[in-house]
Order: sequence, then structure tokens, then C-alpha cells
Amino acid sequence: MQTNPSAPILQVDQLNVFYGKFQAVKDVSFSVTPGEIFGLLGPNGAGKTSTLSSIEGLIIPDSGTITVAGFNNREKPLHARANMGVQLQSTNFQPELTVAEIIRLYASLHAVDLSKERLQDILNNIQLGDASKKRFGQLSGGQQQRVSLVIAMIHEPQIVLLDEPTTGLDPQSRRQLWVRMEGLKAKGHAILLTTHSMEEAEAVCDRIAIIDHGKVIAIDTPDALITKHRDDPEVIAASRRGKITLEDVFIGLTGTAVRS
Amino acid sequence: MQTIIPSDLNALKSLLTADFTAQWRNRRSVVLLLLVPVIILISWKGLVDKLGGAFVLSNCITIGLNAIGLMGYSNAIARDRDKGIFQRLRVAPVSARNIMISRLLIQLAMILLVTMAVFIAGYYADGISMSVAGYAVALLMSIAGGALYLGLGQAIVGLIKNPESVNAATRLVYFVFIMVGMFGELGNAGDIGMLGDQIGKIVKWSPYGVVRHIVSTGLEPATWSSDTTISFLLTIGYAIVFAAVGIKKFKWSSSR
Repeated sequence: MQTNPSAPILQVDQLNVFYGKFQAVKDVSFSVTPGEIFGLLGPNGAGKTSTLSSIEGLIIPDSGTITVAGFNNREKPLHARANMGVQLQSTNFQPELTVAEIIRLYASLHAVDLSKERLQDILNNIQLGDASKKRFGQLSGGQQQRVSLVIAMIHEPQIVLLDEPTTGLDPQSRRQLWVRMEGLKAKGHAILLTTHSMEEAEAVCDRIAIIDHGKVIAIDTPDALITKHRDDPEVIAASRRGKITLEDVFIGLTGTAVRS
Repeated sequence: MQTIIPSDLNALKSLLTADFTAQWRNRRSVVLLLLVPVIILISWKGLVDKLGGAFVLSNCITIGLNAIGLMGYSNAIARDRDKGIFQRLRVAPVSARNIMISRLLIQLAMILLVTMAVFIAGYYADGISMSVAGYAVALLMSIAGGALYLGLGQAIVGLIKNPESVNAATRLVYFVFIMVGMFGELGNAGDIGMLGDQIGKIVKWSPYGVVRHIVSTGLEPATWSSDTTISFLLTIGYAIVFAAVGIKKFKWSSSR
């Protein structure tokens, strides 16, 4: 159990993941501290999802250790999962269940006692006060995303893992999510975020790791990454309007080739 | 901060509540699963005297069990896997074992439901009546037979990832089991002889034939023979082999 408030809430050490002979993740190491929003960026197939899935316990890495709130996620998987909230990329709740039933299910799976009043408060808080009896599949993308985030947070986890949470959202919903993420950060929760949006990473992340071909190739704050790489020829070549942005640094470091 | 994880029992209770609710909301498909054996039962009314009540009931129950294991269970698992429902559950502090136990308990309820539906329809539509002991033993045999078809369904979702391919494969196996099983064994019944004795013998020891045999003998426990014992052991053996293949090959996600 985590006792030191400044100790990393998530520690990933020397992570390696293979699919057959293909190595998807190569010696990846990083840590996330309480109250930090940490971004994991990379092109398609870079190893982000494999890294995240290893942390979530959905795949078993070939080597390396992952510790969540002091619990090794292979030795104490349920304890590790109890300390993290997860929002996966796609819709993934039983379509036959209503919003209220889904929230109740996940509350109970996290041993959270949810009164009727508390449930209504939660729904009101995400502007879904009148949608408790709606099936999840009947909600819009933004509404589904809000329900997913509520479920990820239902047990007040020490770290929340968000896998491309703003994909497909309109600008209003995206901004609203950023505000919610900053609210979580203010309350001391850590967030590990994967995204393809450099705007999002720059707007909300305290630190960023850029991962490519399975390796972490850069790790720092967005400003520090820009400062450090602004004179790289590849970054200057990637710049489109003279001003160096995080996207220019990302393209400069990972190349211009489109990944499958 | 204290780490709280739910007890196994509470987690299972929550999963069961959700799974039963989902099944209830899918009651139309449950009714369709029940309709096939009941319609066959009613349409065979004229054959009851010739084939015997136990034979007719056991055929209809076996078809119902086939439908549950192949059409119901495997398609539901394939759909939920493809939608990522299992992955979402697996990132909660709940064991994979509990997720599957909950699903299997739903199927157990379905097995009991289809067996009881055939008993009731058999009594009212065809006037078939068995002893209380016969009904009780047949119910137990139905559970064993249901396990075989659930194992087969598990093997199919273990070997095939794509939900449409799972659907196509289960329909094919279901159709073959119904047609060859139902009519093939009649060749063995002597009086009707539809596909010949060779096919009849093959069907007798097939996953269809052994289940039909144990359910049939279960309805008339006094007729239990060495063939029934072999059929029962084969039923358990098939169930173990299919389930072992299905569990070993099963992937929780259809994406990689």
C-alpha cells in the first residue's frame, strides 16, 4: 500500500512485450506521481496500447515490473486494479443494461456502496440526471464518454488510465473532459493519458513520454521537450508556421512516414 | 489510503445480477431457443407411441441443450468479447474465474429452463408422463449434457475469434447435430430406419447420441445399462476435452 505521498503512484520498469518474434515494447520505464497528468504519445503501432494493456493487466509482459500504489500488478493484480481507474478506448458495457445499472455494477465490483441519492448526484454531475434508465447504447458519444469516466472514477482511484479519451468528441466535450481531468489532478489523482492530439497533450499534460518502435525516445515536460529539440534539423523541417510546437517535435523525433 | 477489493461472493453476486438482467432483456431470443424443441415435440405427437416417450423427450431436450451451448452461449461470449465487455470487466478488481462462473450459472439456469419446458410441453401436448425419479434423474443428465454443449461452444469461441464466423460455425454444427443426430439415430431404432445402421451407430456415440441416450435413460432409470454408463462417461469426456481446448485457446479480446 502506498504510504509516501510523493512516491510514484505508478512505476514501470524495464517493460518488454513480445508478440511472437515481434517486440512491441522495448525496455520501457517511467513513473507517474500523485497529482500528475502524464501523457504517453506515439504513432500508430508504437507500443502505447501494449504498454497500457500491461499496466491494466490485460496482457502479461515478457519481462519488467509494474507497480501500482505499491502493489506489483502480477503478484497482487486485484489490489493493483483496485487502485486504478480505467477508461478503455471503445464502448464496452453490456448494451442491455441501463446507465444506472452499469454504474451500480462497477460500484459494487469496487466495493463501493452506492445509495440511490448518491447515484442521482453522480448522474446530475455529468448532466445525465434524466438518463439513468437509458441503455448505454442510446447515449451520444460524449455522454458515453462521461459515463465511462464516472465509472473509472467511481472508487476514487489513485491513478486513472485514459486511452485516447477524446477521440471522436466534439470540441465542447473535449474541453469539458480537460476540465474534469484538471479537477482530478487538483484532488491529487494521477492520470496516465494516451492521445494522438498534440494540442491535448500540450494543454493538459505535466509530463510526456514519446514512444516509438516500442522504445521511450523522449520524456519531459511539453515546454522542456520543445526547448530541448527546437534546433533539431528534423524538428525545424517539420515546422509549418515558423513557431515550433509539440507536434513539430513529435514529427521530428518519430519521422514523417505514415504508420499502419 | 486503504485498498478495498470486494469479496469473491459479492463480486459474483453483482456479476450475476447484471448477467441475469441482460438475459432477461434478451428474453425474445430465449423464447426462440425454447421454441425449437417444443415445436419438434408437438410435431412428433404421432410418433410417441412408436418411438416411446423417453426417446421423444430426450431428443427434444438434446436439441434444446444444443441450442443453448452453441447458439446462445458461444454467440453471446463472441459478441461480448468483440465489444470489449470482458476487457472492461477484467480491469476491475474481479477475477476472470468469477466472470466466467457468472456466465456459466446463467447457462445452467437456461439448461434447467429448457428441460422443464420440454417436460411440461411433453405432458400437455403429447401426454408423456414419467415418474418423479425419472424427471429428477433426467434433469441431472441434462446438466451433464448441457456441460458437453457448453464445452463445445467454448471450444468454438476459443478456436474462432471473429463473432460472425463463430455465428456461422455454431449454426452449421447445430444444423448437423439436429439433422444427423435426430434422424441418424432413428436408423438404430430399428422400426423406422432412416439413415441406416452404420450412421446410426456413429451417431449413437457422437456428442449428440450420448447426451440423448443418458437423458432418455434418465427418464427411465430402471433401464440403465452398460451402454448408458459408457454414454455418461463419454459425455463427461467430451465435455472435458471440448472445455480444455476452449479454455486453452480462448482469448479475452478479439483484437490481437
